[in-house]
Amino acid sequence: MSNKDNIEPPLIKNEVGSLHPINQVNDFLLNVLADLGFQKVDGPEIESEEFNFDMLNIKKSHPARQMHDTFYVNNKSGVLRTHTSPVQIRSMLESKPPFAFTSAGKVYRKDDDATHLPMFHQVEGIYIDENVTFSNLKDLIHQILHNLFGKDVEVRFRPSYFPFTEPSAEVDILSDTGKWLEILGCGIVNPIVLENCNINSEKYSGLAFGLGVERIAMLKYGVNDIRDFYKSNLDFLGQFK
Amino acid sequence: MKFIYQDLLNFLAKKPPKELLSEKLFQLGHEHEINGDIFEMELTPNRGDCLSLNGLARDLNIFFGKAEPVKIYNGDIELHHLNFKNLSPYVCPKISFLEIEIDGNPNPYKPYLENYFSLLGTNKTNFFTDISNYISYELGQPTHCFDANTINHQLIFENKDCDQSFKTLLGSEIKLKGHNAIFSVNKEIISLAGVMGGMSTSCSTKTRKALVECAFFLPESIIGKNVKYNLNSDAAHKFERGVDIQAQEKVLRRFIEIVRDHSSIKHIKIKSFDERQFKKDTIPIDLEKINKILGTDLEEKEYLRYLSKLDFRTENEIIVPSHRHDVKTQNDLAEEIARIIGYDNIKSKPLKILKKVDKSFINIHRIKNYLIDNGFSEVINFPFTKNKEKKSISIDNPLDSNRNQLRTSLKDSLLQNLLYNERRQKDSIKLFEISDVYFNNNKINQESRLGVITSGKRGNNYLDFSKKLDESYLNNILNQDFDNPFFIIEEISRANLKTKKRDKIFYTEILIDKMPENLFKEFDRSYGQINFIKYQKVSEFPSSTRDFSFSIKDSKKYDAVINYLSDLNDENLKDSFIFDFYENKKLDEIKVGIRFIFQSNSNTLSDEEIQQSVNKLLKPIIDLDGVSIPGL
Repeated sequence: MSNKDNIEPPLIKNEVGSLHPINQVNDFLLNVLADLGFQKVDGPEIESEEFNFDMLNIKKSHPARQMHDTFYVNNKSGVLRTHTSPVQIRSMLESKPPFAFTSAGKVYRKDDDATHLPMFHQVEGIYIDENVTFSNLKDLIHQILHNLFGKDVEVRFRPSYFPFTEPSAEVDILSDTGKWLEILGCGIVNPIVLENCNINSEKYSGLAFGLGVERIAMLKYGVNDIRDFYKSNLDFLGQFK
Repeated sequence: MKFIYQDLLNFLAKKPPKELLSEKLFQLGHEHEINGDIFEMELTPNRGDCLSLNGLARDLNIFFGKAEPVKIYNGDIELHHLNFKNLSPYVCPKISFLEIEIDGNPNPYKPYLENYFSLLGTNKTNFFTDISNYISYELGQPTHCFDANTINHQLIFENKDCDQSFKTLLGSEIKLKGHNAIFSVNKEIISLAGVMGGMSTSCSTKTRKALVECAFFLPESIIGKNVKYNLNSDAAHKFERGVDIQAQEKVLRRFIEIVRDHSSIKHIKIKSFDERQFKKDTIPIDLEKINKILGTDLEEKEYLRYLSKLDFRTENEIIVPSHRHDVKTQNDLAEEIARIIGYDNIKSKPLKILKKVDKSFINIHRIKNYLIDNGFSEVINFPFTKNKEKKSISIDNPLDSNRNQLRTSLKDSLLQNLLYNERRQKDSIKLFEISDVYFNNNKINQESRLGVITSGKRGNNYLDFSKKLDESYLNNILNQDFDNPFFIIEEISRANLKTKKRDKIFYTEILIDKMPENLFKEFDRSYGQINFIKYQKVSEFPSSTRDFSFSIKDSKKYDAVINYLSDLNDENLKDSFIFDFYENKKLDEIKVGIRFIFQSNSNTLSDEEIQQSVNKLLKPIIDLDGVSIPGL
């Protein structure tokens, strides 16, 4: 309270900046996964075809490996990683089960339109141990989604196809509008991938999952245009303080 | 792939309503949308066997049973002594040819054929090609119809290096490059095998004698051809995903049956070339393994019943049907069983990963927290640039020539971010980015960098409004803990920038790995907590500012003015801040300057609209005794 002899100058609001919303969601997911026991591992964004594709059972003829889908660099001496799975491959080669790894970061696909960007972010996880089952995978996915969308969220698992998991699933959540929204991909690690990483697939099995960070961020914040995240517009970024 | 609801029902014993059919298709992993009676399927790439009515019905058998099989021609067929040579049997291990001649014009199409064109919006071409397209829809096996009168010499199939033009039956000229599976006659390419036939040998409405080719092509020989030659071939889509290696003759007999349905046949001849004995895949029966993969307690009787419904035979082991190229392992079988049970019907079992995870802080979180506390905003940029440096890494297949290199520094990206915000009338810009950059240094090297850029006013408050974000500001912020500056600050010249702004731009970039370990240690705090706000769409319309200075002569009114100004509300008011505060004790007067920033989400605000908002905002203040706005 001011008075004639003591006028208090107006308060100065501390003008704080903001962490990028994609990194906020990324950190949130990593935090959830850390609490579930997943150790973060890192790896390069420029990868060899061997780690990005071959080790993950993505055959030479797979369409994803074509020049119209994947960025190749330096006369095909490497690729811009198309997922963060090669980070897990590198970690698996250096570790003995049981282990639970999560990898997060930028990934690249040769796309550029209103709904697809040439760069986006993924958070992936892998858990290898004895007797890991599809039932366990379902439990884990429910735990992750409850953290993200609350305990009442309705979840649907659908069969899907990824070369590195078998069985594979896509997971949808029921939105407020009554529409099912695809939220993540997951599955039981294909034994071929385990063997590629020198892990005895008769003894060990594993589960893996991957989330698109932009997709989660768009859903949670209500951002309709994925391109807004990368305009570096202070009016946009300033909302995520 | 699209199909007509009623058409699929014809392949099923039970006739489920659309909703139930849709539910079961989803359960089996066949995503789709329904428009009226049309189901638009989006099948996973491993399920080429489901790209037909017959294929989907096979998969749905467990739920709805199979209807009587479609009628095929069971009569004897004369052997065709076709002059054909297969020079690439590895790429085409099975191929059959049917020569069929009709007598006169075909009759009008029967409803099943007519509906295929009218309801699915498919264009009719000519009698033989129309049947070929319909059979692909019904059975999933593409066939190609040559006008038999145009094949007068030896027909050759080969997978070879090509460098010549080819005119498709749709009339487009494509330049074949690299390896292609082709049919040729007299060295002329007459068909891009498995993709599209050629103009010179295609059937027309006048064709009465066709040579129908039906083959299995190795998927690898077809993959990518649609994209490479900018074609949209349904046949290629199917061959890429793999067709049934044993279906050729059955499909050609179905072809005859449909022709018979619409015309009288003068003669038919058939010839099959089997270059490789097909050996069915087998998998040991191991229910324990299946239960171990899924976490289920399935019994053997049920397990084998499920498999038999999917056309798997069980003797001493499980024999995989010829249309299921995708099933080779116990995990593949486990997926089959899970699909039948329904993924949602498999119970969750608790998973506890007992390992403790080290969540200790790393430098990146500390520096981020520190910069954010000091008003900096984090940005993320794409790594692509057109600027080629000596050590740049080139992209072999860039999106365009402006994005054909990977950046070796964060500077240009951050400068572009700053200029973008200046164009959006931002007058205090503080940005940072943390990202990896890559170099060629005999091998590919990776460095994690922090870039910081500033320009404009120090802050939107009365203490900082007249001060600039300059070198000393950045030094104070970043180098305060160092005897010798760790962050080297440079001024970026505006000389070559297309901007009328004059504020100086300052920039620094460092290697994250070189940052001292304890730097900004006090900014360790938990991360990953998040408040998911509801984002408000950013306006694309220009903003307008209005500055006002209040003279407060009655100090008792001061608090009321300040309280009011800190809680302003108007639909067009985007932001406001006090940029000036001065107390003149001699004159017993307090001066407060405020800036209003107006912006609408729906239009560019007119002067009248802004004035209306100003009047509304100012009225409660100027109504106060002892408070005035000089000059107003």
